[in-house]
Amino acid sequence: MDPVDVVIVGSGASGAAAAWRLSRDRSLRIVCLERGGPPDPARYPATRADWEMARHGAASPFPGERADPADYPVDDSASPIAIAHVNAFGGSTLLYSGHVPRFHPSDFRTRTLDGVGEDWPLTHEDLTPYFAENERMMGVAGLVGDPANPDYDSLLPPVPLGPMGRRLGEAFNALGWHWWPSYGAINTRSHGGRAACINLGPCNTGCAQGAKGSVDVTYWPEALRQGVEVRTGCAVVEVLLDGRDRASGVRYIDAEGREQVQTAAVVVLACSGIGTPRLLLHSTSTAFPDGLLNDTGLVGRNLMLHPLGYTEGLFDEDLGSSIGPQGCCLLSQQFYETDPDRGFARGYTMHILRGPPPGETAVTGYLMRRIPLGPDHHRRMAETFNHTAGIAVIAEDLPDPDNRVALDPDHTDAHGMPGVRVTYTLGENTKRMLAHGLDRSKDVFAAAGAKVTAAFAPVRQTGWHLMGTARMGTDPRTSVVNAFGQAHTVPNLFIVDSSVFVTAGAVNPVATAQALTLRMCDHLPDVARRAAA
Amino acid sequence: MTAAALDTLWDAILPGDPARGLPPASQAGVSEVVAAHGLGEDAARLLVRSEAVARERFGTGFDALTPADRVTCVERARRADMRGLTPVLVAALRAYYTDPVVLRAMGAGTVPPFPEGNALNDDDWTLLEPVYERGSIVRPVPKEKGSP
Repeated sequence: MDPVDVVIVGSGASGAAAAWRLSRDRSLRIVCLERGGPPDPARYPATRADWEMARHGAASPFPGERADPADYPVDDSASPIAIAHVNAFGGSTLLYSGHVPRFHPSDFRTRTLDGVGEDWPLTHEDLTPYFAENERMMGVAGLVGDPANPDYDSLLPPVPLGPMGRRLGEAFNALGWHWWPSYGAINTRSHGGRAACINLGPCNTGCAQGAKGSVDVTYWPEALRQGVEVRTGCAVVEVLLDGRDRASGVRYIDAEGREQVQTAAVVVLACSGIGTPRLLLHSTSTAFPDGLLNDTGLVGRNLMLHPLGYTEGLFDEDLGSSIGPQGCCLLSQQFYETDPDRGFARGYTMHILRGPPPGETAVTGYLMRRIPLGPDHHRRMAETFNHTAGIAVIAEDLPDPDNRVALDPDHTDAHGMPGVRVTYTLGENTKRMLAHGLDRSKDVFAAAGAKVTAAFAPVRQTGWHLMGTARMGTDPRTSVVNAFGQAHTVPNLFIVDSSVFVTAGAVNPVATAQALTLRMCDHLPDVARRAAA
Repeated sequence: MTAAALDTLWDAILPGDPARGLPPASQAGVSEVVAAHGLGEDAARLLVRSEAVARERFGTGFDALTPADRVTCVERARRADMRGLTPVLVAALRAYYTDPVVLRAMGAGTVPPFPEGNALNDDDWTLLEPVYERGSIVRPVPKEKGSP
């Protein structure tokens, strides 16, 4: 393969943002290698009448359920939270719900403010212009003026609340608590050459309408126009070093099963919080016998997942609650910041979720013994469907080196490369936080006049947010990369995904990950040039 | 194992409800969808087990039972093999709720493949006035550390 200036590994949220930002310099030759294949919106489950069945196979976000040959094995049996992870052109954004709130300023200073976690080597202010740029590229709906966040410049109109959302907004008002319409990567009007959302609901099976801002329809079309070459079906198995401990490129298996080497002046990793440490740990050499950049033993450690608590409320009235973008309605950040009287540090966001679609309502109701089979089925179903809402408590979990991703030599991918083994335990702080969140969720439903029908934590099938496994910092002894994603020990190797997060915040990480990526890539050419000098 | 026998099974768990405009499972294509998703053998096994429970507990065949007793048999069969038989029951429920007639009758909004969308009324954002009135809750952060 001809040498290139930059090789990007991974085409998901951060890989796409990196490709777009770097390719604005048309003099750079950029190649992106993606182990998965391209999505086909015409075959998304929601184009079929049986979409609620189809979503549990090839459209599942869980590798074990999806059984896609592009995936690598993920053993999460030692974690109460299952890992969701999509290997495809566009990554996990293809199946995410599109919830894209920003981190708060305090998230970058948890050590200074609360004596927990570590401070980041940058601030919220450093990211502010990149948050705004990312929101423009992704197409983010919301409302400016949120008292819980520094102000936004501009957003698309908010996602409609619907009758259920309005009811819960009134409940939050009755309690005197913060709430705000969701920040959703959902086109509420035509934007970026994409159509407006028509409130179909199943965002997390892929949006055939193209209204949801997954990166295959946001960053990538522009990056491709700017000349980035994407090779799908290409599984990178090693980051290569030259004799001077600089990255020289990557070794990969192409779509025809042939081994290839792509040499590059700069290597950018964007394979997710599990894929990036997997690749680093598998890239051993004389200089790094325990894995690339792992001389401090930090690679793969400090995994953070955002444990989630869930409460469901049942209303007497039909509130049409299943209608609208499923994951985006409104949020509350009343309990986001630390209050010592609560008995835990840091906090959580409450996301209001719309009611489930018919099949899921019936199945969940049946398995939880609320909707029987037989003669009484339809009456009970009618009392439940469109009558429910959920509150998801997204808890900030603190970094813990024992929570980690390691190679799993017992389970390998299609090319013989080890999968990953995830070890994760909920900390006491997190447990107290989740219990508090469930209690407050019950308060909300009580104020809304709903009966609580379920409340539990953690919810297993929620491990979408993969953070912290190659964290950034100023001290090479306690971090893997610097504030620009540049590896401390291999100066032309950059990590631009959520692996670099120092703490987890209590909101979905995509917006912050992409803002970080844009900032890193803004500086990357200069940083790389200085390193080469 | 006849198709009619399987229809009896599915109609036992998902009978029609004419008052709500809901057809029985046999008219909603449940057998076909379950089979298309590779669970035909599991469906047959559920019927055999339910039939066995009927004879053991009620001394008669499954199709001779009352609707409520048929459900009892299905549930007892499932409880005896939770891991083996729950998936096919779950699939039958999901299959029933893929039928356009069912979805329209229950007011599920637009039906896949979604030629049209769903309308949601515009919101009145004066609902947020109390949130505005309480003012900012952004936590101040000291700026003593410079950023690179």
